[in-house]
Amino acid sequence: MSRPFKPSRIARRRLVSGVSWVLSGAAFLLVAVPLLDILYTVLKKGFSALSPTLFTEVTNGISGGLLNAITGTLVLVTGALVIAVPVGVLAGIHLSEFGRGAFGRAVRFLDDVLTGVPSIVLGYFSYVTLVIGVGWQFSVVAGSITLAMMVVPYIARFTEIAFSQVPNNLREAGYALGLREFTVITRIAMPLALPGILTGVLLAIAISLGETAPLIYTAGWSNFLWSGRLVHEPIGYLTYVIWSFINQPYRSAHALAFAAAFLVIVLVLLTNIAATWLLRRTRPARPAP
Amino acid sequence: MQKFRLTQGMRGAVAAAAIATVATLGTAPIASARTIDILETGSTLLYPLFNLWVPVYHRMHPEIRINTQGTGSGTGIAEAISGVAQIGASDAYMSDMQVKQNPAILNIPLAISAQTINYNVPGLNNIHLKLNGPVLAGIYDGQIRDWNNPAIQRLNPGVRLPDHVITPIHRTDGSGDTFIFSQYLSFSTPAWNARVGYGTTISWPAVQGGLGAIGNPGMVQASSQTPYSIAYIGVSFTREVARAHLGTAEIENRAGMFLLPNLHTVEAAAQQLVAKTPRDERISLVFAPGKFSYPIINYEYAMVNAHQADGATAIALRNFLSWAVNTRGGNAARFLNQVRFIALPPRISALSRQQIAKIH
Amino acid sequence: MTLKPFRMVLLLATSLIPLALAAIFVFLVRYSWPAIHFNGFGFLARHTWSLGNLYANPTVKHGQQVPIGADYGILVFIVGTLSTSTVALAIAIPVSLGVAVFLAEGLSARLRPLFSFIVELLAAVPSVVYGLWGYSVLTPIIAHDIGPAVRDSVGRVIPFFGGSIGSGYGLLAASLVLALMVVPIIAATVRDGLARVPAETKEAAYALGATHFEVVRRAMLPMVRSNIIGACILGLGRALGETMAVLMVSGGALNYLPNNIYSPVTTMASFIVSQLDSALQDPTGMAVRSLAEIALILFIIAVLTNVLARFLTGSRNVPTI
Repeated sequence: MSRPFKPSRIARRRLVSGVSWVLSGAAFLLVAVPLLDILYTVLKKGFSALSPTLFTEVTNGISGGLLNAITGTLVLVTGALVIAVPVGVLAGIHLSEFGRGAFGRAVRFLDDVLTGVPSIVLGYFSYVTLVIGVGWQFSVVAGSITLAMMVVPYIARFTEIAFSQVPNNLREAGYALGLREFTVITRIAMPLALPGILTGVLLAIAISLGETAPLIYTAGWSNFLWSGRLVHEPIGYLTYVIWSFINQPYRSAHALAFAAAFLVIVLVLLTNIAATWLLRRTRPARPAP
Repeated sequence: MQKFRLTQGMRGAVAAAAIATVATLGTAPIASARTIDILETGSTLLYPLFNLWVPVYHRMHPEIRINTQGTGSGTGIAEAISGVAQIGASDAYMSDMQVKQNPAILNIPLAISAQTINYNVPGLNNIHLKLNGPVLAGIYDGQIRDWNNPAIQRLNPGVRLPDHVITPIHRTDGSGDTFIFSQYLSFSTPAWNARVGYGTTISWPAVQGGLGAIGNPGMVQASSQTPYSIAYIGVSFTREVARAHLGTAEIENRAGMFLLPNLHTVEAAAQQLVAKTPRDERISLVFAPGKFSYPIINYEYAMVNAHQADGATAIALRNFLSWAVNTRGGNAARFLNQVRFIALPPRISALSRQQIAKIH
Repeated sequence: MTLKPFRMVLLLATSLIPLALAAIFVFLVRYSWPAIHFNGFGFLARHTWSLGNLYANPTVKHGQQVPIGADYGILVFIVGTLSTSTVALAIAIPVSLGVAVFLAEGLSARLRPLFSFIVELLAAVPSVVYGLWGYSVLTPIIAHDIGPAVRDSVGRVIPFFGGSIGSGYGLLAASLVLALMVVPIIAATVRDGLARVPAETKEAAYALGATHFEVVRRAMLPMVRSNIIGACILGLGRALGETMAVLMVSGGALNYLPNNIYSPVTTMASFIVSQLDSALQDPTGMAVRSLAEIALILFIIAVLTNVLARFLTGSRNVPTI
């Protein structure tokens, strides 16, 4: 059933290839242009609020700085990662290395379902159980746990996918050398899976930095600096500023809201750069293809 | 070699994270033992006013730290009840049943707010179209579909109304603006009251092309980019409305007069209901009698539990709230003008102080 | 056995995920129990949602205290959720694949990190900012450019794409914003996967005379098929659960179903956010419990769509390489 050979066929294949590359470039432009426009909008509207006081003063409700929101965001995200990274990475390893059975399939499935639980539901769940039920009130702990629940499934799945791509012959080589399971996973598979895990963690940071709904009912909001109490004290965060200050009738508040949005994006950018740099340092250059 | 460098890198990452955390902790001052913390949460209409009050009050009383949050009236009431917040800000008073369930929660008016009805009809935004309750109800329940409908034309003789479909815009989020707008429709139009009623969100009748928007800025935005639309917007956003070149309608009051909201018409409406305001101050100011009463205004409330957990907090609350309702304190024009609220009439201010005195 | 403690730790961490989900599930069932009783099954097919009169004294119906006139039909929101997620993924999946191929294969190694950042930053834009950008920039474009173009082309063949465009707020706007939020998830996973395709595979394909794109299309993409499916399912989860951005551009339809792709819609997740505050004012508590029931139904929809996605892609065992 071979097609009759035509000299034009190779040309057609080249054409299809060329068009496809153009399309993939166009796909990139399709998402890059909105992003650049968003960045431009945010910068333009937040420009009047961008000043050093942003980092030295707390907000006074309609203007001032964002120190309380910046530090609060760092505390909450750190808290969320302290919980979510160990759980997510370990769960991902388990799913990839030992997750072929029914339990693994079930967890993988439930993990995907968990990503579909709206953040507001997680927030309200924590509000009823942790804030009111346990009596922690608005607090760092309630906020961090809620964020962790939201991002764990992403970290677990990215870890799993990363580990599953480590060629099996490397593991087998390890075992053939008499290495223990623990060693094979942490010393042989882990370095290769690390970029993938990192992609997951970075996504988790990005998502948890950008959410408002789960924190309004758990972390509350505070105009003051965090005093270090884990419970019984509300804490500020940047996304609250974006959402609530936009809804106030003051220009200074609007500028602050967009400055906060800009800071969120910059924070994610910085973590991305730091992670890439870290990865370069920790891994030898990939063998040339 | 590779393994060694990996662990070193990871150690670096852990150390960096630890330093970041410690640095964050380090910037926090140690709270003084005598500081009293008060949490205010709720209405997003009152939130901008609280944000004007708090920094000024904090300068006078540095030992009292008042935290403000804009979350929504329902949340404000719920958190005043649960004790998570000390002050629950609300655009709406509590219902009889809520009062029965939570007799200790006081409904304390702090100021008076109003609302404008705005529209975007090309060519007519620089005049004030006249609208009334039945016409607005008709627009929002889909019975009046076009701008040149006879019912609108009757109210605006001589105005060339366009033959174009109306896009009614409502708030999707729970809002005090929806509360007083739907109260105006309910009180002025029995059919609306029977079919839809009022609340901070209501079950908007299905109108083809009708739009939901979020927050007052969302209303301004949606209205300005949708020609032939109509919207209701909190009076605090008058500047934004002007910047978006929207028209502002004159609204018919109970006496049949068409008015715009301003200091005089809002105050006139409030005065009409001063005598009727009961001791617990739960009353609607919407559709007040009187020739010069603007019909869509309301009390903005602080919901406070009369029984506070400790005496010091109770005293701090009494002091702050008494300051807030005083015309030489929070009710001074320099605060209220910025959000275009109106001060409480003296008798209402006195009633509020009586309620504030119950906090212990 | 020295392996045991390690495996125990793994197992323990892994169990936390189903435990968390079970906790949320049990909470939702218990919390919404009165609403489940009151609403029965009929509410799934009704499209009237009304909190009822919260200021009058409540009545007793079906043995439950409820506000007069309360009706918690949720068909509108189910349709809104399914339609926005479907359209969003239909847009996001091909775009993400294009982006991933472009990032992994279409760029020199020097440019790759820079361009990758751009895509990763998409995930960094706060949900509210997507909403603000969506209603100030995207909806006018839909109303004046995208909408008319789609209506006059596709809309001539498929009625769902024709008809009135309205003001730009609606199903299409919500789906486009969701697509932007889903793209970084899928694109990042697939890009990572493509980057790890062994050089031998590529070289073998080249040796057979394939063009560069054919190598990508025939040799590389099939190898990361399971990544693509896994990432799409994650993206679906994000689309189902997104609240603020959708809320701000979807037009907030209430009590009616969309009749074309430009119609206003309301999704379940965004509806919960928009109603929670007012629902808290219901002294009978039925409103909040009905919102919890919406969350429960959304939970079930997430389960069903996940099953369906796995069934359609014939991969019950994602990922296997």
